[in-house]
Amino acid sequence: MTPRVLRMAALAMALGACSSQPAPVPPLVLSPDAVRLAAQATFGPTAAVVHDIEQRGAAAWIDAQLQAPPSDLGSYPAVADNVNAVCPMGSANTCVRDNFTPFLTETAFFRNAISGPDQLRQRVAFVLSQILVVSGAEVRPNYAIAEYEKLLGRDAFVPFRQLLEDVTLSPAMGRYLNMVNNDKPNPAKGTEPNENFAREVMQLFSIGLVKLAPDGSVVTDASGVPVPTYDQNAVIGLAHVLTGWTYPLQPGASQKTHNPAYYVGPMVSVPSNHDPAAKVILGGTQVPAGQTPEADLAQALDTIANHPNVGPFIGKQLIQALVTANPSAAYVARISAVWADDGHGVRGNLGAVVRAILLDPEARGDVKTDPSYGRVKDPVLLLTGPARALGVTTDGVFLANTAGALEQPPYLSPTVFNFYPPDYSPDSTLVSPASALLDSASVFARANLLLRLLYSPPGPDRTVTGATGTQVGLGDLAPYGTDSGSLASSIDALLYHGTLSESARLAILDAVNAQPSSGPSWIRAAAYVVLTSPQYQVER
Amino acid sequence: MRISRRDVLSGLSVIGLSAGLLGGRRTARASTDDYRALVCVFLYGGNDGNNMVVPVDARYDDYLAARRPQTEGGLALAQDALLPLAPASGSAQYGFHPSMPELQQLWNDGSLAVLFNVGTLVAPTSKADDAAGRVPRPESLLSHQDQQNQWQTSLADRPSRTGWGGRLADQLPSASLPPLVSVAGNVLFALGARAHPLAVPSAGGPTFGLSGFDSSAGSRGLRTAMDVLRGLDLDNALVQSVAGETAAAFAASGALAPVLAGTGSTTDALFAAQPSVLGNQLLQVARIIEARSVLGASRQIFFVAIGGFDTHNDQINRQAPLLAQVSASLSSFHAATVQLGVASQVTTFTLSDFGRTLAPASGGGSDHAWGNHHLVLGGAVQGRQTYGTFPTLALGGPDDFTAQGRWIPTSSTDQYAATLARWFGVAPADLSSVLPNVGRFATDDLGFLG
Repeated sequence: MTPRVLRMAALAMALGACSSQPAPVPPLVLSPDAVRLAAQATFGPTAAVVHDIEQRGAAAWIDAQLQAPPSDLGSYPAVADNVNAVCPMGSANTCVRDNFTPFLTETAFFRNAISGPDQLRQRVAFVLSQILVVSGAEVRPNYAIAEYEKLLGRDAFVPFRQLLEDVTLSPAMGRYLNMVNNDKPNPAKGTEPNENFAREVMQLFSIGLVKLAPDGSVVTDASGVPVPTYDQNAVIGLAHVLTGWTYPLQPGASQKTHNPAYYVGPMVSVPSNHDPAAKVILGGTQVPAGQTPEADLAQALDTIANHPNVGPFIGKQLIQALVTANPSAAYVARISAVWADDGHGVRGNLGAVVRAILLDPEARGDVKTDPSYGRVKDPVLLLTGPARALGVTTDGVFLANTAGALEQPPYLSPTVFNFYPPDYSPDSTLVSPASALLDSASVFARANLLLRLLYSPPGPDRTVTGATGTQVGLGDLAPYGTDSGSLASSIDALLYHGTLSESARLAILDAVNAQPSSGPSWIRAAAYVVLTSPQYQVER
Repeated sequence: MRISRRDVLSGLSVIGLSAGLLGGRRTARASTDDYRALVCVFLYGGNDGNNMVVPVDARYDDYLAARRPQTEGGLALAQDALLPLAPASGSAQYGFHPSMPELQQLWNDGSLAVLFNVGTLVAPTSKADDAAGRVPRPESLLSHQDQQNQWQTSLADRPSRTGWGGRLADQLPSASLPPLVSVAGNVLFALGARAHPLAVPSAGGPTFGLSGFDSSAGSRGLRTAMDVLRGLDLDNALVQSVAGETAAAFAASGALAPVLAGTGSTTDALFAAQPSVLGNQLLQVARIIEARSVLGASRQIFFVAIGGFDTHNDQINRQAPLLAQVSASLSSFHAATVQLGVASQVTTFTLSDFGRTLAPASGGGSDHAWGNHHLVLGGAVQGRQTYGTFPTLALGGPDDFTAQGRWIPTSSTDQYAATLARWFGVAPADLSSVLPNVGRFATDDLGFLG
């Protein structure tokens, strides 16, 4: 038979016109806008989440999500920060993996992403982890990364000023960007305070390099040159402000000027290592001489968090990560306004900001036709989306391993600059940050890993305690193994929010009908061609 | 002969255009074909050039005074541990970091040159000009991302969506295989107005093709559907961009996959002794160069990279293994080009975010700075020489725009890139379209390629 004939047969079957075929199964019927919200606010739409959104309404569903407590990320032993001491020669092969890589935390991350109820909190925490970056590539103990990840989960919806303080005093961040044991100038040794955290807390975590209008546009001087937000002297001033902090005190230990590495709780101050001199920081703010480390820190964080750039700088990145990579200036301005005041006088209320981003008219609606609308999905979402749609049950091991192969292992960024730059442009016109990870090599890596997930998901890894492996139950698509028409319609509803063109539908049916038998192989074939398609890789 | 985009579009023959591009003043020494390749090695994070090349003459005392002995928590390398770089005649004025014996050997062989104090510059400047604001500084100096970008775009005074490697490739005629190949993912360096890089996996990496497919009807059905879907919904620019990347990958896979898997490679053994992240990338470059005739490539620009150079703390222990990897893998790669008979047709060079402060920072590291020293390697390189001006190693001295030892560059990225581009075959009249700012500097040829 030619494909054309097969196609006709499939259509006939879909219409129920061929009485010798199995009875038709009614396809999934889902509200397109609810599917879109699920794609923006969770790790991938499922029929259950979409029905929940449909029943509650978008605003009430978001409000419930804002209240959901964080899923459990597990408890891990607080090992000494010394690989050779903890895992000497002759240790089990798993010693380094389990204690000095974030592997186990990543398996928990993916278990929660696939089935945790606090989807929006986890999704936002993952976005924040890509802005306020700490990486297990440098901060080795797994429990240290887990503590930082829990911090971002707890703080996903708090006021930004609190998030900034918690992150600043996080020992994992202190270790990552060298604020821990950052001592006042030492003329005898010729050393200066370390500038690493001082620079990046402004450049990456809060205000950025150039002044922004509330709508996100760059402020320029009379000759059209962008106006810097700060200069090197402000970095040096802040580096001095941030002197005199060390690791938290491990239970049972005694306080030292440089405590040994320990990553539970906030860093503690060491006044004798704090520079008491007066400093000048961001915006020419004078930090008077003789303040405590705590007072210096509070003044600096107030100065940064109150800078007018924070709303458009962080708010726009949240929009780009959740909704669309090229938001209109008006959209950014609306979010900056919520950032400035959540309606109750609170500045930087992340919960209110996320709510406003998701309920904005530029986010909501059944279909978006602007040619620049949408966002290229992160590799993590290209794993979790298919897994959730296809009813995957998993211990997270396969996904944790796979995320590395797709260049986006959570909490293992190569540098503080995240897996990709926020202004990456694949074609000189549009911004598309996640496109930085899509190149000709990753095209194949992605398709081949999806093939593995669909056709031969791995069983339990016996080196992992309690491993259960990965199973693909086919989830919401499982009923459609004998009804290709309803299969295509259900895929359209769940994965394309009803935008599948007739040509695409026919291509999917051709792929299905080329398979030797119906049943799960039909569903896998349809899923493979859909999940590798450019359309699926762009959320819009 | 100028090569314009219009010529390319008008369908001039590839051979004719190649001859034109080759009309530069230099000809390859041992070549039988007209192949030339540039290999960019990016050292992400900002390599501390102050400890890569150190004066071993009387100026060592200045170095030690500012860097401080390691016994005091400083960063100074011991004078007797440095690997001396003897010029063709006379005694050594400089030494390499002790982790770089292979590159010391290549220096002695005359294949390696050192460039002093190169950096991003809007225009030539000096400490006085800089202090008075007469010459603007590069935008966002000392920021990793921006300085990586400016090294790759060679446009320190404006944002750019194209890199100088991409603009150089824009000068080339269309070829079946993209002339730009990155073994380190997407990178601004390799984006042109027209040129778009192919990204390939490292040696030993994943397959450059679809796995699990065979000649069955089921496989063919999947593949057909993928091809159809890739052509749909292109009204959305993001979908179009994903589709374009996917199509490019599929188009290149057939010819490249066996090459990238090492089929027919004769240079693998040269890299086997010290396998590394950078070595596996450079092996992949060597394999592609070996297959250049089959692939129909006559001009290629490669990009490889290694990270970890942002040594804010514990620099002594962190930089040494990185420089050791650079030294061993560049040496293996150069040996491969010699074995393939293309040593003088391949020029390899380093880029990095910026240099680092001469003064140590709290925690045994160094902070972001500006001008930096770089390496150029290849048979065409006029090696065993240094180029440019070595800075005065004094904190707050004549080359330092701060008090921590941040060198104001005395050569620009434009001049560095122009020297390479001219060797690659770009006519002097076309340099400004590759490097728009190069005319602001005294020369577009730093001399290290003869």
